[in-house]
Amino acid sequence: MSVEPEPQPVPARDPDLSDLVDASIRRVEDHRILTGEAKYIADFGNDETLHAALLRSPHAHARIDTIDVSRGEDHPGCVLVLTGEDLAAEYDPMGCGITAFEEWPLAVDRVRFAGEPVALVVATDRYVAEDVVQRIDVSYDRLDAVVDVREARKDETVLHKDVGTNVAAAEVFEFGQVDDAFETADHVVERTYSWERATGLPLETAGVVAEYDSETDSFDIFSNMQLHTHPGRNTLPQVLGYDPSAVRLHCPEDIGGSFGTKITSLQRYCYLAAVASRKIGRPVKFIEDRVENLQGGDVHGSDREYEVRLAVDDDGSIRGLDMSFLDDFGAYPRFSIHSVIKPLAAVCGPYDIEHIRYGYEIVLTNKTCQTVYRGYGMPQHTFALEKIVDDAARELGIDQTAFRRRNYIEPDQMPFKIPSKNVYDSGDYPAALDRLIDVIDEKERREGGLLDPSTVAERRKEGKYRGTQPSVFLEPSTGGNDWPDRMRMEDPIESFSRDQVDEPPEHFRAEVHPDGTVTASLGTDSAGQGHQTLVTQLLSDELGIPIDDIEVDYLHSGQVPNEMGSAASRMTVMLSGAVAGLSQELTANLKRLAAVEMDCPVEVLEYERGAVINPADGARLTLGELATVDQEDDGTLTSLTHEYGFPGTDVDDFDDAYVNKLPIFATTAFSVNAPIVEVDVETGAVDILRYYTLHDAGTAVNPMMLEGQVHGATAHGIGLALLQEFQYNDIGQPVTTTLFDYLLPSIDNIPEMVLLQSETPSPFTVNGSKGAAEGGTIAAPAAVAISVNAALEPLDSDIDRIPISPKYLRARLRGSGSTE
Amino acid sequence: MQSEGPTISDTHLRDIDVTLNGADHSMAVEPRLKLSDFLRDEVGLRSVRVGCEHGVCGACTVLVDGECIKSCLMYAVEADGASIETVEGLRQDDGSLHPIQESFYLEHALQCGFCTSGFIMAAKGLLESRPDPDRRAIREGLAGNICQCTGYQNIYRAVERVAADMEEP
Repeated sequence: MSVEPEPQPVPARDPDLSDLVDASIRRVEDHRILTGEAKYIADFGNDETLHAALLRSPHAHARIDTIDVSRGEDHPGCVLVLTGEDLAAEYDPMGCGITAFEEWPLAVDRVRFAGEPVALVVATDRYVAEDVVQRIDVSYDRLDAVVDVREARKDETVLHKDVGTNVAAAEVFEFGQVDDAFETADHVVERTYSWERATGLPLETAGVVAEYDSETDSFDIFSNMQLHTHPGRNTLPQVLGYDPSAVRLHCPEDIGGSFGTKITSLQRYCYLAAVASRKIGRPVKFIEDRVENLQGGDVHGSDREYEVRLAVDDDGSIRGLDMSFLDDFGAYPRFSIHSVIKPLAAVCGPYDIEHIRYGYEIVLTNKTCQTVYRGYGMPQHTFALEKIVDDAARELGIDQTAFRRRNYIEPDQMPFKIPSKNVYDSGDYPAALDRLIDVIDEKERREGGLLDPSTVAERRKEGKYRGTQPSVFLEPSTGGNDWPDRMRMEDPIESFSRDQVDEPPEHFRAEVHPDGTVTASLGTDSAGQGHQTLVTQLLSDELGIPIDDIEVDYLHSGQVPNEMGSAASRMTVMLSGAVAGLSQELTANLKRLAAVEMDCPVEVLEYERGAVINPADGARLTLGELATVDQEDDGTLTSLTHEYGFPGTDVDDFDDAYVNKLPIFATTAFSVNAPIVEVDVETGAVDILRYYTLHDAGTAVNPMMLEGQVHGATAHGIGLALLQEFQYNDIGQPVTTTLFDYLLPSIDNIPEMVLLQSETPSPFTVNGSKGAAEGGTIAAPAAVAISVNAALEPLDSDIDRIPISPKYLRARLRGSGSTE
Repeated sequence: MQSEGPTISDTHLRDIDVTLNGADHSMAVEPRLKLSDFLRDEVGLRSVRVGCEHGVCGACTVLVDGECIKSCLMYAVEADGASIETVEGLRQDDGSLHPIQESFYLEHALQCGFCTSGFIMAAKGLLESRPDPDRRAIREGLAGNICQCTGYQNIYRAVERVAADMEEP
């Protein structure tokens, strides 16, 4: 890359914000990581610890005839072998997202995907455990596997006989008069699109060390599970038959990435390690290896077939959107309907569309099950939406950018309630689009730029087609947690009322020590986002004390009764609120303590930079001195727990969504993306020459870390757009089981990103911040797709699926007769 | 019938002598023990992270006799007689960070940090052969390491920064 580094525009600062908000504080996590001292889950365990390995099914669909473990048990290093029958005799199945279905951590009677665990072995070390796995003999009766979603929904081969259908859930939502809009519109454009299976792969796989204590009949389970304190997601106590206080889930301070994928995969592994530890009376450790992670690690993402229609009038206004899709969830609906209905939170994207129909069908096939992955249904929705808008413009002969601009929600409409009832908080979408277009015009359309018309023409002669299509993309962030219960409700939604809304708060603690330092404790986990830095920065700012005087640690599940945690791009907003709320309470307490000590009315006292001051006489008591005084009593005034409520519940605009159990996202970040792509029509390769993006996540608390999230999320999106795809053959065998087949973007694939930031504060959050960790992943696949469309326009060709692999694109171009 | 793997009784321990971050170590190891597992589990050098065990992700990258090696692709017995460098050996005598570590910190070139040791060792290997790499050389030098968090933008900046700092007298 011989390009001059782009100057990074400095975001505007809100003058009302104090010193440390909007400051690129460097991270407190980094020193231990850079020196190798960080302790990830694989570094847990002690000399007593035993090691587990799993025997997994080689077949996509089969009845288990017999399992003979005797040769395994004869191995001198073998300590325990467990099968599904052993578990079924004593425990309950794992939690399943849709309650009609049952899933065991080890298959009982039948395997439903290649890679499904069949037996657990515990041995003296992992090498030996894998030796023992080889000595377990299973005889299977193979059954027909169903791998195609359209075949599966015919129910000729049913995966779960007791449920009787492969269609696990289906709904159609209708907002406005959709049929009327489509009947009366001047044009209707209709397309189908597909999105192949992919996911984010944190470099650290899932892992657990479970320690059962027979004296207290309770467990300490250390794992890199995401949302380890969330009572609804962490169903371990129930399935093990214990009280939640007896199953303590702990998270390491350092987790090697998650991106959503470590929410559910750890359910299986923690369950198994806990049961094994209880049987053996020693700690049991399991670290998933990469091949089992790719093949059967329960981490695949959305896998969809879309049918989309757009109703458009002659004046270029979009009247209606009609979208439905099938989502291949794999063998078990491990997670519920969140990912298929989350897009309702931004169903119309940045466009003002009045009449909308949105339908989904969750279909089961003989593949590994889906989990949560960054964006969680939104990247797929955004791709389908941006594609139909793009394709409609082309079909109707309207300029794609002008067509979009014609339909954008205008800034004076904010906050804007969309037809599906979520509320966009703030943003000037057309202005953001114009700003990025101006930058590209200036930098790239001039002589010598990547889009210099003479260069573009020159490259075309060599079969290299360049293009870009700027567009606006939304990121519903700061996700609520009431709506996902939609599927678990016993009563009809019509009977649900606003006062039944249950949003878990952010649980946060802080304790002041006599030396003046503060220990803060988080009710959730962190997988690289930098929550320790964020809290340190916010607390330092609120209390006016040095960063070095603050430490941040993590609580275990038994200490946190009610918490949502780190998901749905919540933490910046939630921790900002939690730190502000706790600090307010703490400074009030400090003044009360000081008033007694100084023998003066509390009202005259002021808190300033780590001390309470009486301006009248200059008397001053520091945090440490006041903590000492407090600890001579019961210490409760300087050791606090604060539960910060979800901000969406305070905004009446969200009530419509709440009572209808429709997705609520308290903030909506936005971005403009314009990758400049070059398509080699001979090889089908897409090269992103430079990736322009403008990102707005409200007030930036730590612009450096925000930029890091945008970079990382965008790189994920580029990987999704061009590289990543889990493939199965027609008997359900996964054929992408190594990182040689499932391609992650390396430094070689990721282009230079030119990132501009702007700050449109959210009116709904304490400091104007918005969640921002998923926007790049939501936007980039669609942005690349419509830019490839732009590049291929002279060939009258386009694309209709993600990923845009060379093989697919070559076939597509041949089909259109434009090459070879 | 599935094939049977080797068992404990099949294995014969082999003595190896290696220099780890400048210190000599002699140990008896199973021939099948991967170098990555040897460094982590037998020696306790936990900066060596294991991400894929098939040589793609690069999290376990170490320098073996000055060369960048993915330690999951090498057996410990193959390292007999070699000098191995890991992140644990990078700290300066006064305890401060190595310039590469410092640059990664200043440029926010890490998030979850699981890949970071591998990137630091790969960057060290690169800078020893190309003290002033351009972006193309950085790309080629680090193409064997995967980072899933940073999108690589700040990794470029970190390597460029350390190269620039090293140039200064």
